Order: sequence, then C-alpha cells, then structure tokens
Amino acid sequence: MALVLTLSASIFWSALPATAANIKNIDLGKDAQVWFAEDHTVPIIAFNISLPAGSAYDPSGKAGLATFAASMMDEGAGNLDSKAFHEALANRAISFSARAERDYLVISISTLKENAPEAMRLLQMALTHPHFDNEPLQRVRTQIIQSLQQEQAEPRQVASRAFTREFFGGHAYAHPVSGEIDSVTSITAQDIRNFARSHWVKYGLKVAVAGDITAPALTKLLGDAFLPVSGAKPPVLPNVGRLGAPGVHVVPLPVPQPSAVFGLPGIMRQDPDFIPGYVANYILGGGGFSSRLTEEVRVKRGLTYGISTSLSSYNKAAVLQGSVATRANAIRQTVQVVKDTMADFVAKGPTQQELDDAKTYLTGSFPLAFASNSGTASQLGTFQRQNLDIGYVARRNGLIEAVTLADVKRVAKRLFDPARLTVVIGGTPADGGRAAPTVPRPPVRPAPPPQQPESAPPANGPLPVPSVTSPPKPADKPVAGPVTAPQGAKKP
Amino acid sequence: MAVGAAAPATAQPGNAANRAKLSQPAPANPRQTGNNTFQFALANGMQVLVIPDHRAPVATQMLWFRVGAVDDPPGLSGMAHFFEHMMFRGTKEVPDDGFAQTIAKNGGENNAFTDHDYTAFYEQIAKDRLPLAMKLEADRLVNLDLSDSHVGPERDVVLEERRMRVDNEPMSLMAEQMHAALHLSHPYGRPVIGWSEEVRRIDRVTAQDFYNHHYAPNNAILVIAGDVTPDEVRQMAQDTYGKVSARELQPRAEFTEPPRLAETRMTIVRSDARVPILSRLYRVTSYAQGRPGQAEGLETYAQLLGGDQTSILYRVLVEQKKLATDAGASYDGYARDAGEFSVYAVPRPGVSLEALEKAVDQVLGVNALALPRDNDLARAKTQLIASVTYRRDSQFALASAYGQALTIGLTVDDVNEWPARIRAVNAEGVRKAAQSLSRRDAVTAHLVPGGGK
Repeated sequence: MALVLTLSASIFWSALPATAANIKNIDLGKDAQVWFAEDHTVPIIAFNISLPAGSAYDPSGKAGLATFAASMMDEGAGNLDSKAFHEALANRAISFSARAERDYLVISISTLKENAPEAMRLLQMALTHPHFDNEPLQRVRTQIIQSLQQEQAEPRQVASRAFTREFFGGHAYAHPVSGEIDSVTSITAQDIRNFARSHWVKYGLKVAVAGDITAPALTKLLGDAFLPVSGAKPPVLPNVGRLGAPGVHVVPLPVPQPSAVFGLPGIMRQDPDFIPGYVANYILGGGGFSSRLTEEVRVKRGLTYGISTSLSSYNKAAVLQGSVATRANAIRQTVQVVKDTMADFVAKGPTQQELDDAKTYLTGSFPLAFASNSGTASQLGTFQRQNLDIGYVARRNGLIEAVTLADVKRVAKRLFDPARLTVVIGGTPADGGRAAPTVPRPPVRPAPPPQQPESAPPANGPLPVPSVTSPPKPADKPVAGPVTAPQGAKKP
Repeated sequence: MAVGAAAPATAQPGNAANRAKLSQPAPANPRQTGNNTFQFALANGMQVLVIPDHRAPVATQMLWFRVGAVDDPPGLSGMAHFFEHMMFRGTKEVPDDGFAQTIAKNGGENNAFTDHDYTAFYEQIAKDRLPLAMKLEADRLVNLDLSDSHVGPERDVVLEERRMRVDNEPMSLMAEQMHAALHLSHPYGRPVIGWSEEVRRIDRVTAQDFYNHHYAPNNAILVIAGDVTPDEVRQMAQDTYGKVSARELQPRAEFTEPPRLAETRMTIVRSDARVPILSRLYRVTSYAQGRPGQAEGLETYAQLLGGDQTSILYRVLVEQKKLATDAGASYDGYARDAGEFSVYAVPRPGVSLEALEKAVDQVLGVNALALPRDNDLARAKTQLIASVTYRRDSQFALASAYGQALTIGLTVDDVNEWPARIRAVNAEGVRKAAQSLSRRDAVTAHLVPGGGK
C-alpha cells in the first residue's frame, strides 16, 4: 500500500472552531477581564477563573500559604460548614477545584447548565465569606504535610524542588508552591484570612467561560457573583535578578531510577522572540516523539521512557525547563547527551524540514484545544494569565507561520547554552564522572500533580504545581504510552 | 477456535452468555444505534462505531484491539504492552518513528494504552487529515517491520517506564503485589507492564509471533468521534482498513477463577514510603459477568461509600472519628472477567493501621446491614448520571467509553442505557452490593514506612 504522507502544507490550520473564532468580551468592570466562547452542543458550562493569589505572594516564612488557602476554598463558607459546602456541590454534581500556581490562583468549575446559578452562588460565598474553621483547617494541613512527606522519597519531586530553589535564587518564585513542612505547620487561620482578604479580589480578575449559556445570561450571572468581591489592589511582585545556578547538583536518594531536572533562563511572553523560542523548543525537546532529545535519548539509546523540555513564562521570569529519568548507572551519561544535543542544535540550527514540521504541528494541533468546553475554557484562561489580548486567538497561528529559519537559529543560540545549564539530579548517580557539587537535602519538594493518562511535564504554560492530593488508590491500569507528551497540554 | 478470514469478529471465545451479545453482526451500512452513535462492519470483520460531534473541525480516531495483558505468552508478561510500544517503531512504508512524526507534522496528537483486556491506539487530528491517520493505522496493522535494532532499545525504554511507574512508587508496588495475590490463577494478577525479569526475555521472534496472532482487522474495533458523518467514515474506512485482509487469530485463552478459601493479608515495609496506607482489594463481579443490576449496584455503592468528600468513609473516618486524613473506594467493573472493588484509608499521624482497618470494617459492616440514607443514595446517583453528560464534552472520553465497552463484550446499548440502569438502583441494591463484599475474596495490605527496602 502506498502512503501519501506529504500532504501539501495547505492552510488547514486556519480552520479554527467556530467557538474559538467567536470569543466575546463580557463587561465586568475595568479591572476584570471576561472571555466567553458560546456553544450549545453539550448542556454544560466550564469556567476557568484566575485571581492574583499565587504562591509568589506567600509571605516570608509562610511558604505554601496560597496553596493552603486554595485548598480551604471549598471547606465552608457563608451559612454552610465544610460538610454542607461539599454536599451542596455534590448534590448537583458541580465540579469545583482551586489550585495555586506561582502567579495566580486558578479556579476550575464545570457545571450542568441548569446548575450554573448555584455554582456561581457557591463561588461567591467561597470568595467573600470563607470560614477557615479549625476542623477542616487541621485536616487539610495534615493532608498537605503527608503529601509533602511522601514527595521527599520521590526523585522527580526532589529534583524539581531543588531545581526551583537553585534556579530562582532569592526570588518569590524560588520557594515551592506547596510550601515546606515547617512553613505549612506554622500557617494559622488568621494568615489564611489575611491572604484571602488581600488576594481573593477582582482587581486583575480573569474569567474564561465556554459552553451552553448566552452572553446576556452570563453577564448577569457573573455580575451578580462578583459584585460583592473586594476590588482591593494586590501588592506588586518584585522583579527577578539573575536566573540559574549553572552546573550539576545532586540530591542523593537511594532509588533505582534517578530524575534530572534541568533548565536555562527562558524568554518572556511579551518578548517578540517568545514565539520563535517556542518553536525552537518544540524542535529540541517539546514534541513528544518528534523532538531531537527524544530521538537521541529514548529512540536511539533506550535511556528513558520520556524526556521533554518546555518554555514557561511567569509574570516576572521565564524558564526553559526539562526533565528526564533513567537508571542510576546511566544518569550522568544521559545528562551529557542532553548537553551535546543542545550544543549541536545551537551550532547547526534546525533544518528547514524540522521547522516546517514544527509549524504544521503547532498550527494544525491548535484547534484540538477547542474541541470541548472544558478545553476551551482552560486554553482561554491560559492566554489570559499570559496577558494576551482577545484577538490573539485569531492571530496566533499566523505568528507561528511567520517564524523563519533565521529566527529559530538566532533564538536557539540565545536559549540553549549548555554551559549555562542548571541541572539537579534527584537520586544517586552510579555512572562515575566527576563528583558533582552536592546540595543539602531540602526538607520538602514540590510535586507536580499526577496527570492522566500519566504524569509528564506540560509542553508549555506554567510549571505544574502540587495540588493537595491524597495517596492514590490501588489501581494501576491501564498503562499508557508509549509517548510521554501530555494530553491536553495548553498551546502557546 | 479461530476466527475465519471472512467472518466478522463475532465469534470471540467467551464466557458464553455475556459474549453472545457480540455475535449480532453489525450491518455493512451505518445504522443508528443510539441517540448519536452509528455502527457498521467492514467485510474483513472490522467493527466500526461513529460518534458525530461538530463543535470543532477535528476528529478522534481510536483503534481498539481485543488483545491485552491476559494474552501475554507464558513467561513473557508485559508482551502486550511492549507490543503497543513496538507499533510505533515503523513499517516498510513508514519506517522508524515515521508514524508519530507524520501525525505530528499534520497537526495531530497520538498515543496508545494497554490494559489486561485490550490495547488501544488513538489520534486526534484535523478532520481533513483523518484519512491520513486511517492509512497509517491500516499500514501498521499488518506491515510492521520488527527488527532486533528496534526491539532492544524499546525493551530498555519499557524497563525505564517500569522503574518510573512502579519501582520508584511504593504505592504502585503495593498495588502490583495485591493484584498478584488477589487473582489465584487468572492473568489479571499479572502486571500489565510485566515483571522486569520477564520483560527482559521478550525478543523479536516472540514479538513477531504475538503480532501475527493478534493484530488483524477482524480483531479490532474502530471508533471515530468528531466532525464526521457516518457515511464519510464508511468510505474512508473501506479505502484504508477495508484493503487489509482478515487474519487467522489465535483464540484467546479462557481463564477460570478458582475459589479463594481465605483472605490474604500483607504488610509491605518500604523506606521510600513516608506515609502509611491501608488498602483493600476485593474480587467482585463485572459488567460483563454480573446479573442485571449487580455491577450498577457496586458502582453506586462505591460512589456512596468512597467517591468523594461527601462519602460515608470520608465522613465517618476523616470527619467524625478523626482516624484518617483521607479515605475512599472505587469500583472497576469494565472487565471481561472479574471486576475489582477497592477501599483505602490513610491514617492520621499516631493512628495505627490496625485501628484504622477495624474502623473501616465497621463502616462496611454497617452498610451490609442498614439501608443507605435516601439523600446519600440520591447524591451518589446524581453524580454518576451527571458524569455521562460531562463525558459528552470530550471526544476522547466518549470514544473511550464505547471502545472499552465493545472490546470487553458489552454493547452500545449497555453504554447508552447505563444512566437509566444507575437510576434504577435502589437502597436494597446498594445493601446487596455491600453484602457481596467478602474478605475471603479480598487482599488487605498495610504499607508501612521504614526499614530497608
């Protein structure tokens, strides 16, 4: 059978879903931003709500406060105690989750159409009259601490937490989003109350909505929900100094498979080089099976199940970060392959074919993000948190199309300097090499939340941050694979 | 029994009665079989299900095979999963990792997964690239080019995957030991990813043999969800998969389940476990095996007992008695043979696993005697039924639900009628489900931090 593989690079990427092409602004006052994608196919509505209440605002000594506060959001408000609040959600099958990222608190709500008013009523109560009662507070604290304790034995988390500390130095991004055992232990109800009062505000509020509702109905619903929410202005984050701590750092851990987390200073979202940088990263390490790193480390050498890198931009800093796990007697070799692959990429740049392939993937896969209401809301929320404008959705593929080979070569040089690479190995290397500087064991490390079908770093967007998760139930199937690229990763 | 070349894949050997549902051959032309599902079959036996969804100009293709870890050859556990990986290693026409590369360069995403009963491959791609995705799948369905230079590195990749998913995860290791102990002889006790010692023994010859006997259009179910019409899909499927001949299949082995005469208990002490956990796994009936309503009763009971923070286990153990920081339950009933019901709890610091287990058993005992409260039952059913509406939001979730059901021998009707069947579960049905959980048919594990590994 002959296969026609080289379909012309026609502009099929322009076929944006109707919902994505028709995103409306909803007016909620000058300090808030609401984007709405209307679709009546399925009777559900998805909300993605961002507030300036991320972990970067944790006060000194209270690392983990934003996460703790987010975890308390559904633990009682207004006339409902913790149990009653949970039941109010469950009685109507409203899905409600809140998690802190570095810059933002992100609240995701999915509801059947008919329960949207109740969902918004509960959200309003949670934002304006949260309880922070002692019983749920102590329970949630213990859950967070147990989760941090377990992560101390997990090489990926150990490496990731140490990497963040080394890379961001003294900045507010340097402490783990989920906090440290000591800091979480010290957080009081008053701490959380103060944090909520100054950060759970509609100044800088961003709301993305997709699904089965009309614009007038949504305007009314959101207007009512956020009317009593404080409009106080949250404090401004400090600027970041130097990023990175070049070299290989080891956090010893007796595990069969160490993890390496590595990174370089990234490119800020507003920088015109961001999109070329994103394309360059896709070619080097961002694209599931298609990247050079996957080819060199996994396909040719069988050294790992998954390796990927991502370019993430926060409000005050950007990072190009990757991770890989392999057996103890191959971890240094693997890190060397990563560096060599980077050096080669910088020296020779991508081929025209690689660039063309990257473009057709990045543009052609864009509509996939809009194939569901929850996907659309989540993707729009990501764009909002990156301070993009509503017209970006329509412009986005054109920006990627415009990237030239010279752009990628230039930006690759700017991004991928192996000599500046900060590497942290969680685990105990057993493949010799020069002794690496050993960093002291941190008390706790941040854990990316487990993703389905498997945990892999996101292809882009902010780093995954820990949610307060319970130990998983004993279920171990099905086994996903063989590609480690995350499903539903947000598009740049 | 082998399925003949021209026969649709109707004669899967099976536990008779339940599998008989499969033996109604699908028509050659798309026939509506639900609110929004259409079915037909190709002459070579491939079954096709189409779920139109026109919200975005994209489509999801899933190709489900009736082969999984239960079909691993003796001594070669992990073969089905390993083979899923090999499907990405190239054919003569599309060598090396050309499959994934081609999907990616056409804007698509793809992956695959393996379970005990099935293996599934999927692509999500712009609608106008669906014919290409079909061509590629049809190609690797029969033209895979297995060579030693591919088998070796991919085996190492799988061993790394195992280290990542299992060896580095005390909870996964515990689950693996529990499954092995629960199923006395049935291969559901073998890990899907395989035991390392056996994965290392997989080679090109055994892999080729596995391919020849299990990968064929007459062993596959194609599910297409997205911006398509049933007639379009029929044409595309005929132009691609339709050109692949049926193959003589190796009959799937039938496994019986000898009675368990005693409960199994284990204590696993690990230095990489930092938080103790109590876990119990029951062997129970499944959707494929159970009498009408039985699996639905277990499903509802699992939701009510431990589905979320409003469940009985959470309320009693975490909130009232303050013995646990978390507790839950779940039911996995989508299996050709036995289903599994699991319960877990995490003790508060200072509470022993023994005390916690006693409290868990007390809760389970109460539920076997007393009928559930009306509002608890109503809430559990509301959540289960709403999950079907939420599922409609995702092409992938929809296609998965139908693909999984069809692959294990259920029908489209079973999927479509599920909400009504859950609605019909009453308090007595839940109590019966609670009564059906017997510790004789269970493994209880204590994961204990400390000591050497």
